[in-house]
Amino acid sequence: MPDFFVAIGVLINGSFLQTGSLWILTNVPGFPPIIQTIHILGIAVVMGTAVLLNLRLLGLAVPSQNITEMTERTTPFLCFALISNVISGSFFVFGRPARYFNNPVFAWKMLFLTIAILLLVYFIRMHKKTAGYWEQKSEIWTGKTFALISLGLWIMVSLAGRWIAYLEHLQYPIWSF
Amino acid sequence: MISNFLNSSVWLDVEEWTISWTIGGTNWFPLLESIHVIAAAMVVGSILWVDLRLIGVSAVQYPITTMSRELVPWTWGAFFIASVTGIGMFITRAASHVLNPAFQSKIILLILAGFNMAYFHFKLYKNIAQHDSLATTPTQLKIAGSLSLFLWAGVMLAGRWIGHII
Repeated sequence: MPDFFVAIGVLINGSFLQTGSLWILTNVPGFPPIIQTIHILGIAVVMGTAVLLNLRLLGLAVPSQNITEMTERTTPFLCFALISNVISGSFFVFGRPARYFNNPVFAWKMLFLTIAILLLVYFIRMHKKTAGYWEQKSEIWTGKTFALISLGLWIMVSLAGRWIAYLEHLQYPIWSF
Repeated sequence: MISNFLNSSVWLDVEEWTISWTIGGTNWFPLLESIHVIAAAMVVGSILWVDLRLIGVSAVQYPITTMSRELVPWTWGAFFIASVTGIGMFITRAASHVLNPAFQSKIILLILAGFNMAYFHFKLYKNIAQHDSLATTPTQLKIAGSLSLFLWAGVMLAGRWIGHII
């Protein structure tokens, strides 16, 4: 585990972020399953925006929808979902930083997520700079390559998210700061 | 009658199947659950656009029939995967699941979502040609789209809650 990553956990541990999150998680009835559902609904929006757009670029889905229009239409939904997921996820991460910042699956999730977002920023920047950029003949294969990598990354982010808890279940007792 | 059904020893028999033991006692369970989450997210992510189109808030430049034709197969495909993986998890603890209020709610919400979809498909879809390309949709379609979003979100919530009760 990289030192700086563990250090973030140490920083949060015992801070008001932790006490606040734990207070909400334990005192608001039904808060954990509700906030987890909001997190999964955010993933559903990522599937309906980023993943669907990737499938469109690969020529596998929604052939009638125009790539430029689709990018324009789905981006606000995607941004909203990502921000919402950072917030909903934070309650759990801040609540138990030792479990997350020592968990290699969480580290992988953050890495995949960072690359996926960087790729997305590049994709949208090109789209904004030149009208119809990703529909140009010269960019079709770049677009398809981007789509394949991005698709894989989003799936890995979701899978890692699910496996954080599984690894924790198997290994947590041996983790601490 | 429903109590007999829910308390039937059949559910315990299901838990004793070899396949139930295999899934429940190995990495098959987390694997199925991971696939289940992704498939369920795809169900909602794909139907989302059809629903938003029906409500008339997004993708209005495309005809309703086009949206439906190109997206609903993804919804069904994902739903099929979610069902298979869901049943795989269900059989490992069938007797507890049928008595779990979250599981019961999930099944009821799924049935309601099914009715809503059937009503849309067999009743409202017959007259779709009149509104197909119009950006503003009639109230009936708006209700069908909103209900779909609402019910699927409910299915997700109930589904997530199952794990907090069992």
